Amino acid sequence: MLLQSQLPNSLALAPVLVLALTALLLLVVDSIDPDSTNSAALAGISVVGALTSLGFAGWFLSAGTGQVSTGGGISLYGEALVVDGMALFFMAIFASVTAMVAIGSYDYLRGKPHQAEFYTLVMFAATGMGLMAAANSLATAFVALELASLPSYALVAFLKKNRGSVEAGLKYFLIGAVSSAVFVFGISLVYAATGSMVFSDVAEALNGTEFVGVAGLGVLMIAGGFAFKTASVPFHFWAPEAYEGAPAPISAFLSSASKAAGFAVAFRVFTEAFALSAIPAGIDWVLLFQILAVVTMTLGNFAAATQENVKRMLAYSSIGHAGYALIGLAALSAGSAQNGNVMGASMAHLLVYGFMNTGAFLFIALTEHWDIGRRFEDFNGLGSQAPVACAAMTVFMFSLAGLPPFGGFFSKYFLFAGAIGAGFWWLAAVGAVNSALSLFYYSRVVKAIWIEDPSGEFQITSKPIGLYAAVMIAALGTLVLLPGFGPVIEMAQTAATALFA
Amino acid sequence: MVPAEWYLLLAAAVFCIGLIGILTRRNALLFLMSVELMLNAANINFVAFSYQWGNVTGQTFGLFTMALAAAEVAIGIGIILVLYRNFDDIDVTKATTMRW
Amino acid sequence: MAAFDYAPAIVLLPFLSFLVSVGVAVSGRDLLPKGGALPGIAATAGSFLLSVWMFLTVSGGQYYDETIYTWAAVEGSFELTFGLLIDPLSAMMLVIVTLIATLVHVFSLGYMNDDGQTGLPRYYAGLGLFTASMLGFVVADNLLMAFMFFELVGLCSYLLIGFWFREAGPPSAAKKAFLVTRFGDYFFLIGVVAVFATFGTSQFAGAEAFPVLAEEVLLGEASANTFGFAPQTWFTIVGLLVLGGVVGKSAQFPLHTWLPDAMEGPTPVSALIHAATMVAAGVYLVARMYGFYALTPTTLAIIAFIGGFTALFAATMGVVKREIKQVLAYSTISQYGYMMLALGSGGYIAATFHLMTHAFFKALLFLGAGSVIIAMHHNEDMWDMGNLKEKMPVTYATFLAGSLALAGIFPFSGFWSKDEVLYEALVHGLGGLGGGEAEGALLLGAWAMGLLAVFFTGFYTFRMVFLTFHGESRSDTARNPHGVGWNVKGPLAVLGVLAVVAGFVNMVPVAKLTGAEIEFLHKWLEHGPAGLTSEHYTELTHEFAHYTAGTLAGGELGTALISGGVSLALALAGVGLAHVLYNVPEPTEHTDKLGGIKTLLYNNYYQDEYQVWLATGLTLPVSRAADKFDQGVVDGVVNGVSSVSLFSGSRVKQLQTGVVSNYAMLLTLGLTVLLVVFGLLGGWF
Repeated sequence: MLLQSQLPNSLALAPVLVLALTALLLLVVDSIDPDSTNSAALAGISVVGALTSLGFAGWFLSAGTGQVSTGGGISLYGEALVVDGMALFFMAIFASVTAMVAIGSYDYLRGKPHQAEFYTLVMFAATGMGLMAAANSLATAFVALELASLPSYALVAFLKKNRGSVEAGLKYFLIGAVSSAVFVFGISLVYAATGSMVFSDVAEALNGTEFVGVAGLGVLMIAGGFAFKTASVPFHFWAPEAYEGAPAPISAFLSSASKAAGFAVAFRVFTEAFALSAIPAGIDWVLLFQILAVVTMTLGNFAAATQENVKRMLAYSSIGHAGYALIGLAALSAGSAQNGNVMGASMAHLLVYGFMNTGAFLFIALTEHWDIGRRFEDFNGLGSQAPVACAAMTVFMFSLAGLPPFGGFFSKYFLFAGAIGAGFWWLAAVGAVNSALSLFYYSRVVKAIWIEDPSGEFQITSKPIGLYAAVMIAALGTLVLLPGFGPVIEMAQTAATALFA
Repeated sequence: MVPAEWYLLLAAAVFCIGLIGILTRRNALLFLMSVELMLNAANINFVAFSYQWGNVTGQTFGLFTMALAAAEVAIGIGIILVLYRNFDDIDVTKATTMRW
Repeated sequence: MAAFDYAPAIVLLPFLSFLVSVGVAVSGRDLLPKGGALPGIAATAGSFLLSVWMFLTVSGGQYYDETIYTWAAVEGSFELTFGLLIDPLSAMMLVIVTLIATLVHVFSLGYMNDDGQTGLPRYYAGLGLFTASMLGFVVADNLLMAFMFFELVGLCSYLLIGFWFREAGPPSAAKKAFLVTRFGDYFFLIGVVAVFATFGTSQFAGAEAFPVLAEEVLLGEASANTFGFAPQTWFTIVGLLVLGGVVGKSAQFPLHTWLPDAMEGPTPVSALIHAATMVAAGVYLVARMYGFYALTPTTLAIIAFIGGFTALFAATMGVVKREIKQVLAYSTISQYGYMMLALGSGGYIAATFHLMTHAFFKALLFLGAGSVIIAMHHNEDMWDMGNLKEKMPVTYATFLAGSLALAGIFPFSGFWSKDEVLYEALVHGLGGLGGGEAEGALLLGAWAMGLLAVFFTGFYTFRMVFLTFHGESRSDTARNPHGVGWNVKGPLAVLGVLAVVAGFVNMVPVAKLTGAEIEFLHKWLEHGPAGLTSEHYTELTHEFAHYTAGTLAGGELGTALISGGVSLALALAGVGLAHVLYNVPEPTEHTDKLGGIKTLLYNNYYQDEYQVWLATGLTLPVSRAADKFDQGVVDGVVNGVSSVSLFSGSRVKQLQTGVVSNYAMLLTLGLTVLLVVFGLLGGWF
């Protein structure tokens, strides 16, 4: 009630609006001063915008905007968008990642052309992600997803003279185009079966529908669209190349924020539109996600274990983490009281993941800045040259592997415990086995950094302040999320439980 | 009145044609065109079932899809352009520096 | 209650001296006069005075049972605490331990300092910690705390036995002592866990103490988790588990093998180990939780039998030893066997009595032996001695007093206590036999062995005395021994007096004969906190183990006199035989007359050999097999899993061909497969 009584409802979307305005502001700057290479100003505007967005999201979250305690989700624009606890939670993730990426890009882009465009695209993509989290209709979901995707394609191919970057962009774009075609075709089938796009109406129409086949096909294809966005099997093929070839800050952005956005919209679509209570028995999407979760985490981790290139290893590990997060959808069952806990745990894991994975990729950005190579051997003995950054990287690696006492431990713990609590102990078991395997390849990085002797001569001459700051913020976030995990998981689980009400 | 199933079949056929185009064509531009076919298959559904259900949601969304398809092509052409600059070809199977 | 406020200081003072000495030892400089002996003496003397104060307070009828610190608590389940229990038993033990520790510290001045030993701060640090651990063990008010200090005692013995770590023998002996006692302690630890699991507490005293709970369970007034066994059976198992630690520490058969080797340590340490600390800890533990053991007749019978057997077994081995300290070592094993025999026969007071007298005369004998060793320039072979009584009269007089006590000659202290031990075993054996109990026969068997051991004790003790002090000097050092100072003679004198008079506190036969009220120890142990009195224990053994007193001719008095007379006669016979064989100017070795038994005895019944065989012949192959299993099967599976994972990983990533058309193909295939599967499952077509 607090916020609704003081501000107009449309301002509930402020975290997203701020991002969009920042993007427009950057365009204005660019048109006033084309080809500006004033990185500080551009990055500054982006960071301020992202932090403002984060501030709004945090304020709204703590004020209880759109949550059950203040009267439930705020629905806007004829139910096209809804702002509730989950939307705000994900907006906070996107804003945090965007801020870190913007800080890190300051050094990464130094001396490169088209910086204004870069930041503009990042902000637009973040806007799209925020809208994905708030989408309450298949139409807005699709538009928001495209708004997040299209700038991403361009961003991946941003290094126009770098073959890797261009190739990554091409693959990302082509698979993305096919996926969005599949996605939109799925929407059209659901529309064909239900005659509506708004989630609640879709659920209503699906309840007892006679077009089970058409609707089921549509649900499957829509799930495919989300699988693309979250880099889940079998729509994951773009991810290793895109993450490897893209500028490292963009890899961080895509693998953390973009993935979380895919989950945000998937969570809402599958709990609101295709709610288990309404969906015909013939459309067993829980089984679908169980298969996808197991295959995705296994494939991601197994492929990561044999990589020689650290950045590509992180790309595969990102696929593996998508598998873990999918447990949030795979461990649901109709009417179970545990549903909110499982999905909340998945959301919390995505938040922690947003910090630790962004940090890891930003560390890669740091090594690319130093130009020391991407293979494990190239990292040998780095610890003696850049101990602070390497300590942060160690935190990221162990946290990604889920070792205590890092943030990743608790989020995985709650995720697996939630799955067990919901009766899906085997999902937790597969997750745990995969986590154990993941320790193998994460610790390879740590071993190379600290234990191995330097194989080649390299001298680190510069300490880029932006990248360092971004890595430190990510490390701090990963560590702070350990003691601060209590409120986070509580907030996430409350927000998720509201979806099932 | 044409039964609804026919529209579905038509849309599915167009979608599959697009999909087969993607699987067989190596030219990036043809790849793009095939994607357009798939998107338009969806549009057929939207328009047809908008008529069936008697609301304009589908038709409106069809317009959205077209706009988005245009935007997608714009980005796609851009990427194909830099692809050509870097690989001297727009054969999508040529860009294979990263794998496994 | 003011006195008890200072009770923790008894433990903390020696610990403080340990810290001081460690600090000095670490600093590596000679900061303290006498290498740290003075703080040790001050601390133990302070503890002694405090203990006496406690003793007097306890005589006033006040007891102390207080939890000092709770270091772990599980809500509604159990608590792990440190606490103090000061009752007549622990108060008496405190006085004994602190007194002997003080004397040992003083004696060390003569044995270590005057001898110019190096590493003295380390030595005194060890002594301090050793004393502190034993005192902590004595005042422990629960089994877990007792176990922790029990282990500390073991650690200290390891450090002190291996004090001369540069020589070959001591480190190996230290390791042996540590490992053998540790073997017993494993069982003890399991026993502690079992006590917690069964009763949820390990307190010795109070209404919620585990012996009390066990009693109530047996009476059907309470219930406890007995893991599917009958309560009696389960309590027997728990009792035997704890007994494992006792057998190890008190050097009972078959875990006695570490003790003779432990003679490698400095002699004052041996005195401390044998008289007051480590070896006493085992027997003290049984006495401490006697309320629990008294409930299970099987355990009691086993304790008694082990005790009787060990008494005889060790005494026979002491007969042929050449080195003075070796004789004493076997006598220790044998004497602790008597205490176990007493405990097993329901003679709680007798055991405590013997524990006390033994502490005095064994400390005396070790210090006396130490004095001889100083004089002999660290030559311990008795065949190189002879006629030392002329050269060292004080040592001779006190040593003789100790020997008479050890041999059990009237009226020295050992006579009274050993007599009471045998008396208890006899009457309860007879009573059991009369009542038709199987344990009765076992007790009588144990008694017979104990009785026979008296003869051997008399023999080996006086063989040692005659060889050392009588006859002609058999070496140059013996003819011209090194003198000893006041710091050696002083402790000897104190202990010599005690060895003579300590037995007078409890002259049971005299009391029975005259009717005088002179059984002071009986009276002392009869009072105490509820459930910890000797009267209560007698009731328990009577009620649960069906111990009743039987008699020989002449009723109670007659039996007492007969028992005392027989054991005295046997002891005198042993002494007489030693006199005939060895109290001659130039004694010769008579061991050859023993024939094959000689070899057997020299080799200590091959106990070490069979234990070494157990270790190398049995345990090692089993360990090797386990290692094979670990390396082959477990590691094999682990390695297999890892290589399979990496292999499948390298296969999986082959999907990623780098060609985007293939991706589209795989994507379509995946979607189609899902579509078909779910279509069929959901009946979409």
